[in-house]
Amino acid sequence: MVEIKNLTKYYGKNPAVRGIDFEIRDNEILGFLGPNGAGKSTTMNIIAGYLPSTGGTVTVNGFDITEQAAEAKKCIGYLPEIPPVYPDMRVEEYLNFVAGIKGVKRDDRKAQVESAMDRLRITDMRRRLIRNLSKGYKQRVGFAQALLGNPKILILDEPTVGLDPSQVIEVRNLILDLKKDHSIIFSSHILAEVSAVCERVVIINKGEIMAIDTIENLEKSMVANTLLNLKVEGNKDKVVRLLKDIRGVTNVSDITYVSTNLYTYKVEITDEDVRKEILTSFINNDCNVVEVSMAKLSLEQVFLKLTAQGKKRTSLQDLLSEDTAAPASDNPYDNEEA
Amino acid sequence: MFALYKKEMQSFFYSPFAYVLAALFMFIFSLSFVPSIGSMDSNTLKFSYPNIFYNNFFYFIFLIPILTMRSFSDERKGGTEVLLISSPLSVFKIVMAKFLSIATVFLFMMVVSLFFPIVTMVKGEVMWSSLICAYTGFYLWGLACIAVGMLFSALNDNAIIAAILGEIVMEGFLFLDKFAATELVASYPKLNSVITWFSLQRRFVFFSQGLFRLEDLVYFLSFTAVFLCWIVIAIEKRRWSRS
Repeated sequence: MVEIKNLTKYYGKNPAVRGIDFEIRDNEILGFLGPNGAGKSTTMNIIAGYLPSTGGTVTVNGFDITEQAAEAKKCIGYLPEIPPVYPDMRVEEYLNFVAGIKGVKRDDRKAQVESAMDRLRITDMRRRLIRNLSKGYKQRVGFAQALLGNPKILILDEPTVGLDPSQVIEVRNLILDLKKDHSIIFSSHILAEVSAVCERVVIINKGEIMAIDTIENLEKSMVANTLLNLKVEGNKDKVVRLLKDIRGVTNVSDITYVSTNLYTYKVEITDEDVRKEILTSFINNDCNVVEVSMAKLSLEQVFLKLTAQGKKRTSLQDLLSEDTAAPASDNPYDNEEA
Repeated sequence: MFALYKKEMQSFFYSPFAYVLAALFMFIFSLSFVPSIGSMDSNTLKFSYPNIFYNNFFYFIFLIPILTMRSFSDERKGGTEVLLISSPLSVFKIVMAKFLSIATVFLFMMVVSLFFPIVTMVKGEVMWSSLICAYTGFYLWGLACIAVGMLFSALNDNAIIAAILGEIVMEGFLFLDKFAATELVASYPKLNSVITWFSLQRRFVFFSQGLFRLEDLVYFLSFTAVFLCWIVIAIEKRRWSRS
């Protein structure tokens, strides 16, 4: 549906996007992840035809975005980071206007505007000035705008920013629903959101693709990394020795002093069964376990790690396996009570 | 393209914008009209509408940048430029739609100012042929200034700066006549003729005398067209080098 080949963009001498390749398949929701300034919005702007690229090609539904701009743009609905709404217009008036510039036939306009308003639940707001709407509603008006003209491809740049939790769920469901007859590329830095709707993700950092993989693979790799937070009374060296003797413990790190003979440890284990073994071993060796909690490598942390890396990887799996082998110097884990 | 034109028109006419500007236009007009009609003696030739336009160019110039200043600056500031450029409309069509809408508002302002000749007509006589010619000339001059004003709006994110720069350049064009009349320039007849050829005001003089010359019409329209093309190029260039 959309093919991006060797896409490059320079702002003056600064590279924003450096030779990225990926494709958006038919009826697919592709997540596009990256920290701020990674080149997400630039890439999306290029795909939508707002910015021209410095090099490489973008083909939308068989049309080149620069060569056959009008045809290509007709296949695209774009919701930029800041919803492109006119504060002085009323919601319905604005949507009619957008339908007009997108070349929707006069007879279809009313029906399309109605259905877009209905989908985004802004029908009650149709007579309101956009200026007086809350951020969430403005975002929804922006989203409704992207649906007009029935574009095959939807480009959504952080569509859930500024929405309240129930609206976020609504929008997520909407995106899932839209998948039936649209291909969607959707950027976010909230990974939970991406995992809730996307099948595949592209992770980008500093203008380069770090990984393209399915969510399943991503989650699989997450399960492989479990971490125990322990607070143990006893000699530090003894505790570490005991831990190291147990098979399944891959790493012990972040030993912090709490009070005399009381330390906290972060222990990486291959699976949850190892925990039992650790506890038995402590009891047998007169080490008093004060606290145990389990932490899982959260999606956010995976993402942070990925984007902190300089090297390019073919899949997330590679990266994560490499990651666990190396001693963790920083703390890439989130605590979660076990 | 019509959708954008319509939206632009709505933004002018659904707000007090067009009306306030039309009022200002009439106010400036009346500042000259009232004293000159008041001091008019038996010699009717002394009073003429073209003169009002001619003498008040300096003030009228301030109106046009106010009309044009928001055209592109606000789109960029409000983030709606993305919507227009990522729509199937070409940049040329976007520029044309905006230009035509501002030209329509300007036309509206001129139509409103017809109030003065109509009042005159009730109590006296109006030379309609000369009036129509002067209005046409003034309108063409206005179109050229609109194109200049829009260019500065396309070049600047800040509407106020766009307006001020537009004003400076338009005043510069107005100054061409005086510049050509300086001793230095007048002593080089060729240079003088080149400079006066570019003068917008001198072209208007022909219209005000009731002379409708094809040359002047072509001049004004091509002047406008050159600036409109420049706007398209400026917007395209910005897209390429945005930083």
